[in-house]
Order: sequence, then C-alpha cells, then structure tokens
Amino acid sequence: MTSAQDAAFPETEVLIIGGGVTGTGIMRDLALRGIRSILIDRHDLCAGASGGNHGLLHSGARYVSTDPHSARECMEENELLKRLAPQCIEDTGGLFVAVAGDAPDFAGQFAGLCERAGIPCEEIAVGQARRLEPALSDKLFKAYRVPDAAIDPFRLALENVNHSRALAGSVYHPHVEILGFDMAGGEIRAAHCRDNRSGRLLAIHARQFVNAGGAWAMNIARLAGCDDVRLLYSKGTLLVSNDRIARHVVNRLRPPDDGDILVPGGTVSLLGTTSTRVDDLDNIGPTAAEVDRNIREGAAMIPALAGARYIRAFSRVRPLLQGGGTAEDRAVSRGFALSDHLSQGLANFCTITGGKLTTFRRMAESASDLVARRLGNHRPGTTASVPLPDDETSRWTEPGAAPRRWVRAGDAGDTILCECEMVSRSAVNQIVEHAPEIGEEMSIEAIAMRSRAGKGTCQGSFCGIRICSHLYDTGHYRDATGLAHLRDFLDERFKGQRSILWGQQAAQMELAEALHCGLLGLDSLEQDG
Amino acid sequence: MKEDRRQFTVQLAVIGTGMAGFAAAVFALNRNIVTALTGNTGALAYTTGYLDLLGWPDGAASSIKDPWQALDELRKASAHHPLVRISADDIRRAFAEFAAFLGEHGIAYTVPGERNVTALTPAGTVKPTFCVPATMAAGPKALAAKRPCAIVDFEGLMGFSAREFVANIGDRWPGLAARRISFPDAGRGEIYPEVMARSLELAVTREKLAAALKAAAGDAEVIGLPAILGMHRPDHVLAEMQRLTGLDLFEIPTMPPSVPGVRLRELFEQALPGRGVTLIPQRKVAALRFDEAGATLDLSDNFGPIRILAQAVILATGRFLSGGLEARPAAIREPLLDLPVTQPAGRGDWYRERYTDARGHPIHRAGIETDAAFRPLGRDGRAYDDRLHAAGVILAHQDWIRSRSGAGIAIASAYRAVQEVERTLSRGRG
Amino acid sequence: MQETSPAGISFKDKALELLPEGANFESCLSCGLCASGCPAAGIENMDPRKFIRLALLGMDAELAATPWVWCCTECKRCQHVCPMSIDVAELVHFARGLWPEDRKPDGIVRSCQLAQANDSTSAMGMPPADMVDVVDEVLQEVRATQPAFKHLRAPMNKRGARFFVNQNSREPMSEPEEMVPLWKILDLVGADWTYSSKGWAAENFCMFSGNEDAWREVIAKRVEAVNELGCEVWLNTECGHSYYTMWQGVRRFGLDAHFRLEHLMTYYAQWIREGKLPVNADWNTRGIKFTVQDPCMIVRKAYGDSIAEDMRFVVRSLVGEENFIDMQPNRSANYCCGGGGGFLQAGMTAQRRTYGKRKFDQIAATGAAYVLTPCHNCHSQIQDIGRFYGGHYGVVHFWTLICLSLGILGKNERLYLGPDLRALLD
Repeated sequence: MTSAQDAAFPETEVLIIGGGVTGTGIMRDLALRGIRSILIDRHDLCAGASGGNHGLLHSGARYVSTDPHSARECMEENELLKRLAPQCIEDTGGLFVAVAGDAPDFAGQFAGLCERAGIPCEEIAVGQARRLEPALSDKLFKAYRVPDAAIDPFRLALENVNHSRALAGSVYHPHVEILGFDMAGGEIRAAHCRDNRSGRLLAIHARQFVNAGGAWAMNIARLAGCDDVRLLYSKGTLLVSNDRIARHVVNRLRPPDDGDILVPGGTVSLLGTTSTRVDDLDNIGPTAAEVDRNIREGAAMIPALAGARYIRAFSRVRPLLQGGGTAEDRAVSRGFALSDHLSQGLANFCTITGGKLTTFRRMAESASDLVARRLGNHRPGTTASVPLPDDETSRWTEPGAAPRRWVRAGDAGDTILCECEMVSRSAVNQIVEHAPEIGEEMSIEAIAMRSRAGKGTCQGSFCGIRICSHLYDTGHYRDATGLAHLRDFLDERFKGQRSILWGQQAAQMELAEALHCGLLGLDSLEQDG
Repeated sequence: MKEDRRQFTVQLAVIGTGMAGFAAAVFALNRNIVTALTGNTGALAYTTGYLDLLGWPDGAASSIKDPWQALDELRKASAHHPLVRISADDIRRAFAEFAAFLGEHGIAYTVPGERNVTALTPAGTVKPTFCVPATMAAGPKALAAKRPCAIVDFEGLMGFSAREFVANIGDRWPGLAARRISFPDAGRGEIYPEVMARSLELAVTREKLAAALKAAAGDAEVIGLPAILGMHRPDHVLAEMQRLTGLDLFEIPTMPPSVPGVRLRELFEQALPGRGVTLIPQRKVAALRFDEAGATLDLSDNFGPIRILAQAVILATGRFLSGGLEARPAAIREPLLDLPVTQPAGRGDWYRERYTDARGHPIHRAGIETDAAFRPLGRDGRAYDDRLHAAGVILAHQDWIRSRSGAGIAIASAYRAVQEVERTLSRGRG
Repeated sequence: MQETSPAGISFKDKALELLPEGANFESCLSCGLCASGCPAAGIENMDPRKFIRLALLGMDAELAATPWVWCCTECKRCQHVCPMSIDVAELVHFARGLWPEDRKPDGIVRSCQLAQANDSTSAMGMPPADMVDVVDEVLQEVRATQPAFKHLRAPMNKRGARFFVNQNSREPMSEPEEMVPLWKILDLVGADWTYSSKGWAAENFCMFSGNEDAWREVIAKRVEAVNELGCEVWLNTECGHSYYTMWQGVRRFGLDAHFRLEHLMTYYAQWIREGKLPVNADWNTRGIKFTVQDPCMIVRKAYGDSIAEDMRFVVRSLVGEENFIDMQPNRSANYCCGGGGGFLQAGMTAQRRTYGKRKFDQIAATGAAYVLTPCHNCHSQIQDIGRFYGGHYGVVHFWTLICLSLGILGKNERLYLGPDLRALLD
C-alpha cells in the first residue's frame, strides 16, 4: 500500500476508527471545521450495519409507539437530509398499512402518536393506498402516508470521504484494523494497527481518537481499557428482491416486528428485518428460518413477496444501547450515546454508538463537537446547513444511474462489464482512478462497493469475470492476484446468496458454479491443476 | 379457429435436450430405435466443448491423470455414484460412439484414451478433461511442450483477456506472449464470439484474420485464440486458418455466451432430424403418464398441443438450470413425475459456507435414485415404471461440477439407459 | 436521485401481464445468449439483453424512446436460444405501441393507414375494384397469349370455394404477371379456390406499428371476408408475416374464424408427394445451386420446423438434392434477414443493411446462386443486401421455380430469373 508509506499517514489531528456513515460523517464534520483526520476501517466503507440495513430514511413514524424521542429526531434529520443531500435520497414517501389480523387499536392511535412526535401523517382510503401501491394486499383495512424515503448509505459515505479530502486533506485507509493503543498520562498517544492487505503493522499518532466502530465499538473501547460502552447486539436479516416490488416505503401498521418494512432500493426492494439477540459479532449469516419469516410476514402486506425472486439475504448486527431491565430488543432505545471516557481516565478518546442511519449526521455532530472542543477549535458544526456536494465520482452506487448515463452517452465503445446493472468500462475506470487511498490494492470487491457491479441478478457471476479481465487488460493485475481477488469477491457475494438459493437462483448458481469451478477452477487455485 | 393436436408415435421418447438427452438420441439412432426428443433447451449452449469424464476426486489436492484408475478407486469408495454403476467397457464404448457421431457431423474430437488431458481455461488455469474438440487439441500439446506461443484476444470481446491468460499460466509456460488485435470488419463496441465464429465460415473473413494473426504472431509457432473458429464447420475453418497462417492454432473456451455449446446444439438440431429423429426442442413436457399401451407425453409449442406416444421414456431433464430438479424453499423436487429426490435434510444444509469450497456443496449430490437398470425409483422404493429410465446429472450421488464429470455422467448413463430401452423394446416385441 | 418509475408505463408490469409465468424476464440469467445470437445487437447501442435488463431496472423512459424497437424485427430468435424462453419481442411490440403515431416510422404508419382505408386491407391502398380489374386483365392476357392456359381460371368472390387465397399487394400493384405462376399451380392441381375482393391482401403493417386496435381491425375484416365466402381454408401464399398476423391475430383478439389457416408451402409439399405437381430437377443441367431462407414468421414464430422440412422437401424436389445447400444456422435457428417487422418500410436503411450483413454472410457461405423464399419481405431485403454488399445471387419465389420445373413458366413471368436460368429456358 503505497500511501501507507507516506510520512504523513501515521500522524494526524484526529484518528477515526470505523468507516460507516457515522465515522465518515465525523470525518466531514471535522473537515468543515478545518480539522484534518484519518479514517480507518478494518474492511471498507459501510462494511457493518451502515451497509447492511434497509436504506430507509425514516420519518420516525416507525418509532412513535416505542421511542418517541428517536421518532422526533428522525423526522428532523429526514427533512434536513432531503434538503442537503438530495442526490443520496429517493423521496419515495412511505405508507403504513394494517391488514386483517393486525390490531385495530394500534392503527387507531397511530395518527395521534405521529402528531405528537411532529411527523406529518395523513390517513388515506384503502382504495387510494392500493392505487398508489397496486401490490398491496386486498386485506388492507387502514393506511397512512408518512414522509419516509430511501437513502443510499454507500453514496453518503463516499461523498463524506471525498468532501473531507477536498476540505481538509483528510485521508481514508481501508483494510486497516485497530489492534491496540499506546496510552500514557491519561491520553492515547498512538493507535497500533495492521494493514490487513499487506500484513504491515503501523502506529498512527493523533491528538484525538474517535471510536465509531458501530457494533464493534465496545470491543474497540476495551482495547483502550474503557468499560463504559455497553452494547446489545441485535442481528437483523434482510432480503433483496430481483426487482422493485413497490414504489413507496411500505411499513406494517403494528408495533415493530419481523418482516414489517419493504423499502425500494432503486431497482430492487429490501425486505426486513428479523431481530435476534446475538453475542458473537463475527460469522453472522442469515438462516433459512429468518429468511422464511421475513417473507411470510412481508407477504401479509404484499402477497407478491411470497413468490418473488430474491437475489440476496444478508445479516448485520445493530448496536443497541444497553439500558436497564430486560426489554425486548425492538423496544430498546434507538437513540445514540456519546461517551467521553473521562470516567475511564482518558481525555482524548471518545466513543459514539447506538443510533441509526437516519440520525447519523446528528451523531457525527455531537462527537465532532466534543473532539473540536478538546482540540481548542471553537468553530461550530455546519453539517446542518452546508449541502453535501454531489460528487460525480460517487454516483455509481445509485441504482439505475449507470444504465441511464450509458444510454444517454450512446457510446458503443464504452462496453458494458456488468450487464445486470449495466456498469461500463468507463465507470469502472473512473472508480479505480478516484479512490486514491486504495491505489494498487483496488480489487473487484472494492469496485463493487463503489458501484452497482455484482448487485444484480447474476450477483457478480458474469461481471466478476469481465471486470477481472478488464483489470488485467488495463495492467492493474499482472499476476495471479486477479484470480484470487475474483474468487474472494465471489466468495463474499455468496455469503449473501447462500440462504436464498431456491427457484431461479438455484439455476443461476448452478450455472455460476459450473463456470467458476467447473471451468475456471476457482475451487482449486492453489492446488495442482 | 380450428386447431388439431399433433401426435407422434415412437418407440422411445427422450425428455431433455442437454448433453444426456442428445447422447441418448444418438445412441438410440445408432440402434435403429424410432425416437422423439423434446424438452427444455437446457444448459447445452453453456458447455465448453470439453467432454469431462472424471477430473477431480472428492476432496483431493490434485487432479486426476488416469480417469480409469480413479474410477476403480471410486468403485471402492461409493456404491451409488452413477459412474461406478456402469462398467468401464461401457463407458469407453459410450465415449467412442458419441465422439464418432460428433466427428461425422463436423466436430472432430480427440480419441478417448487412457489419460486425462490438461486442458486450458480462459483464465489461464488448467482443467482435467477427457476428450477435447480438434480445434482445441493443439493447446494442451503446446503447453506440454512449452512451444513458443502467442495468445491473441480481440478488441470488444468481453471476458477473455490474453494478458490475464498469460499472467496466470505464465509460470508453466515461459515466453508466452499476449497480443490484442481487431476482428476483421468489426464495428466499435462489444463483439460476441458467436458473431466472430459465424463470420469465419466465410473465406474472405478467414483471409483477413489470417493476415492479422500472422502480423501478431511474432516469433510464435502456435497461436491460441478464444473459441471462434467457425460455428458449423470448425474443423474446416481450423484447417483453413492453419493453411493461411502457416501456424498451429488452437481455441480456448470462453465464458457464456460462447461458441462451443452453440456448435453442439446446432449440430444436434440438424443431424438428428436429418436422420429421422423427431425433435421438438425448446419445449417443456407438461405431463407424462404411463398406461398399458405405453407412455403419453403432452406438451405444446407455439403452434398448439402435441402428444407423443412412446414405448419407453428416458428422463434426461438435468438439474436446476434445465428444470429437471426444482429447488423450492422447503425441499428439492422432481417436477415432472414427482419422483422422490435424495437430498440434504433442509435448506440450511444445501450449501457450505464458502462458495469455492473444494469439497463442493451437498445440494449437488441431490437427485433421483435408480435401480441397476437406470430406472428411477418411486416412493415405494421400486422402479417407478419398467419403461422409464433416467440419464444425466439428474441422478443422485454425484457432484459433476467439483468432480469435472458432467459429460461423462451424461454420456455413459445415456448409453446405459438406451441399452436398457433396447432390452425393454425387444421384450415388448417378444 | 431520479425517480425510477415514471407514472404511466411500466415495462415490468407489462411483461408480467404479457409473458407466461416462468418465461418472464424475472427469470433472466443475464447470460447473453440472446444478444450473441441477435443480428440487431449493437444497432442503436441496444440488444435483447440490454432491453430486458433496462426493463427490469425500470428504465421505462429509455425503453420507450429507443429507436432500436424499429430495428428489432420481432423475429424471436432471442427467445428461441434463451434457456428460459423469455419473449423479448412481445415487449418490443409493446414499446412500439407507446410511440406517438407522428413519431413512428412514416412508412409503417402509412402502410397501416392505407390498409384501413378500404375493404381490401391492402397496405398499398389498392381498392377492391382495382383488384378485381387487375386479376381479370391479367387473366385475359394469359388466356390470349399462352395457348396452354386458355382456360386458366382466377375465381373472384366464389362462395363455398375450398381455398380463400390471399395475395401480397406487391403483385397486383407492381408486378401483376407474378400472380400467374400461382394460378397455374392451383389450376394444375385442380384446387377449388377463390380470391376475394374484400380482405384479400396479405400484408399487415398495423401489427408492426404496434397499434393493437388497427391490427385487430385489419384481421377482423379478413376473417369476416373468409367467413362470408364460407371457405374451408384461408390459404396464405408466399408472404411470411401475413400468416403470422392472421394466425396470431385470431388468437390474440379471440376472433371467430370459421375456417382453418394454412400455408401454401405445406400444400406444395403435399401436392408434390401426391404427384399432382410432377416437378423434378431434370431441368437443372448446369447444377445451379440454391439455398432457402426460412421466414421467421412462419417457421420459428408459427409452425416450427415442420414447415421448414416441407420447404426443404419442395426445394430438393425442384433443384435436386445435390444442388440444395442449407444456410447455417437454419430452420428455427435461422437468422431473420432484416426485412421483417416493418424494417424495410421504416426508412432506416443503414441500420437495416447492418442487420442484413449476417444474412448476407450466411448466403455467401453457401455459395448458392439463388435464394428461394416464400416471403416478400425476405425477398426484397435479400435482394437489397445482395446488391449492397456485392453479392452475386438472385432471389426467386417458389411458384416461379415450380412452374419453371414444370415447363409452364410464361415469358413475362421470369422477372427474378438470372441469365443462367433464362438460358436454360431459351
């Protein structure tokens, strides 16, 4: 990793650990105050819960019964983000619908609860709801409209990083994992890290250290000897359908439960979630039972979900703040907490955790306020007023952006690499060029994270090969690394496919495997062919 | 509007137009059995052209060099694998007969022999296979002899990179060169192997390409190309190209959409009807039933309903891709007759955690059970019907992908099934 | 972000409605066999796979606007090679229908309007009375000039005739003497047939315009005409899409047709087998080579390979086994020539010739001197690309060659014969 040898790398004002929306949000918030930072992630952007959720910009209505405070926060952030980062948002609007069997009492109270939380909520006739969303069940008995929307966390994170780089020269380093801290005199002096690509160990010196590790925040805090971060781990499983099933965000009008939200993700729909308490953070994968439960519950709202073609299922761990009592996970606050760790004897370390995608900006702002103050920087945060620049190079994560641009450009020479999502050579080249921090280590997986490549029907089985060949053609790969990257990329995609491989996906997978293993031998790369 | 149901009366109905279905039709044709062949298009168009027999033993660290010895070992290890239920002699005869048929119709193959061939893949890896088309035969030989060679790829052809091939095989093949050229008269943008192959059926294209290849060859004596050397007469196109360039040429199979599978499909679709087989391709059989008179198959095409009456049936419907098996969320089913399917306990057990796990996924070993005469077993554990046989990868207890044995299972079991059909028919006559 | 689902049209919804379960583009594997085997792939930067992917991605505005829908001939080869049997042509047809009439290709729209202008349903607007006159004039001329045919008949509006025979408008309008070989054949086999002054025309560009109502109107008039004359069989002559548009139209619109729809090719084969058309290849003393173009509209899109086999039987009987060379690929896997789907009338000459290059190469690879085809669009397109790409072949109708073989081809019925064939006759 060439940039890691840069003398500037190990020293910075602030080290942020965790490349989710919160970590990248802090990076930008600080940059807007003129503070330079380094952001590291053990994988790549949005590898945790930031990339593993519905992509739902909540109106807050989901939480009016369980967590009115979070509900109000959501609504405020919802309005703000729609104004400041419209390029990351599809303003779909949301529906809350009750179907036969759902408690009429809850449905009856809903409008009042929304009103109290400041959330615009309009009851609409059942017939109108079904006209707006023809896929809805004919067993509908009540429906409301709320200002839910869909948001693209990958683009948010990429644009946060790019804006920070432009504003303050802040730097992002993927695949850098925190191993421990050097502490002395009530302060952290350096963070010990490992570059997981090269295996190289490095120490990063900074004045302030921010733990934005999401579900891993408790573990990271403990590396610094801090026991004041207490999280519950709630595993959520979601499904991605092959095409877009509904125009709006559709919520079940009942207390939060399994399979009760369907969110459009551009050209697909995301259904979820389940909620299961787990202790282990790694090796989390969807089970057949979780998948089936989501579908069964979702189908009560939208019957077509029962027979839909699903192309992925994934699970991520939500970090929930541990309160008292034994409340069910869904009833645990969706609020966030900032720990300044003063009680743990550290004056330049903080941890921000809990919360949710919709409120990431507010989380970043509160952490940044603390960091700035500690650095003696008294400029106020401006993320509530400065629009997030619409960054051309980050546009490829938007579903449908690549095909639309390709059709408009009409350049036959710009051949398509990913046919499902129509990602062309020029798009891939631009992604490779504009991720300077990744440099030589750019992989098929990293390209996929920065675009829609591999996210369509074939789940990378054809485009993985084509992108790999293209990277050999451009000289990016010169040895067997490319094939190993191809295999790793396919192995990674598979994790999200494993539990939904029935029907058409079983056929697709059989073809993919015949190609990848039967022909190319990716199952025996290191062995004697 | 008046519509008549068309009806065909045959001795044998083969369901499935993949490798096993076509092989069964070829064997039946050679035995003068009046045959109808129908079923989904299946996966034939995706095949590489390589005919695998047995390339990787279960969980082993290296490929199989001697498939016959590996089969002997497999016989000791598993009583259920379809290949161990067929004698080595029958397997040899099946391959010889099948390859001869292909050769007679324009796609010559290397002679099935004692050893596997170390065949080339588009990524520059190698795979063990048993027979290769004549157009691909010079590649493994050139690799073995480390002859001076250039790999050529084309502007606009996606998924085949000479640089990738060279980067990955370079250790085994010193001095290998990568060259990129434009295909004669190709426009800007993507070009498909199929288009190139058809264009090379023309002398004028061959002359232009030969000139470009000569210029690109440099010091190379041999040139490797993606599989584009003709569609209908590949042997002729190869010979002509070698004559024009004065170089040895070989093809490397490519990812779909590729040429070798389409070649085979078009060969079968012409050769079989040309010799009297009733072929109704690209159609799914809606119903199959047996009664005293025989088997009745119902299907329909664009034009309307079709009925096939047959004395015997071979089920060669393949797996998930071809529709022979259906993976439903709750279980794997055989959709046509609802035959019992041997399978893992639940969906959670279908796949291992890691996609490229060398041990393969349990789902691939699912399939239907048969008796020694390759008759599928019904729910009662006995042959579903004496006149029903099965062939190909629908059979349980094999993983054709990991073991590189798809064509072997298809061809050998089709051969056995047709043997049994012959017996059934002669009993019927007697 | 942009709204991905503009209100109004949805190709996805339309596909769900039109395409059968299991063959919907939901089942697309994205493998590309469709695009790889499509002569229109790459024209206007589009191909069948991209079309399906765009539909699945909800890019309705892009699909509704792409001029490629007029370059796709709706030949359904993509469906034929698709392991999932996905019907792209049906969606292309839908997309055509979305174009405002004033933006659709003029030639197609005009041809449709003319077909609706009078009872003939002729895309060239020929009125029924003109058809009656032309047939009569030509008939009188044959009777007067060809003594062997002084009793030749060309019945018009004959009630209860077995065969209701249609005719592509090109013959009565532009080359009326080309009708005569057909009459001679029908006469020779003793067929009980008739033309009709109503609904006699074969072609239907309303179908190609994507205008369902107009398609229906044209076919309904033809069905009515056959019902009125009480014919047992509507016999489609040597025109490809005329069969498809009638057969498909009757099904699609649930029309009440009291007759069977049949194709002349199956009768040629039957009459030859029965000895009613005693053709042979003895005339082909110079071993002139022939190939045959399988019209998509009757082979892949309708009858399937059975009519292709009939066609080959007829050709072999006419020119000699050794003088027939099949194109590759052929039968149901054959390529569309690029004349179909209204492409010839769409005014997109450069695109159409690009499309036709594959057909030209196929023909060139056979080395044949003549292409036989029972389809007028094939006929015109194959002639045009032959001239454009410097080919040296001719294109002939079956009826011409049948009469030639039988020695009854009149002097002015040799429009499409090259010098080699004329030399054999003189």
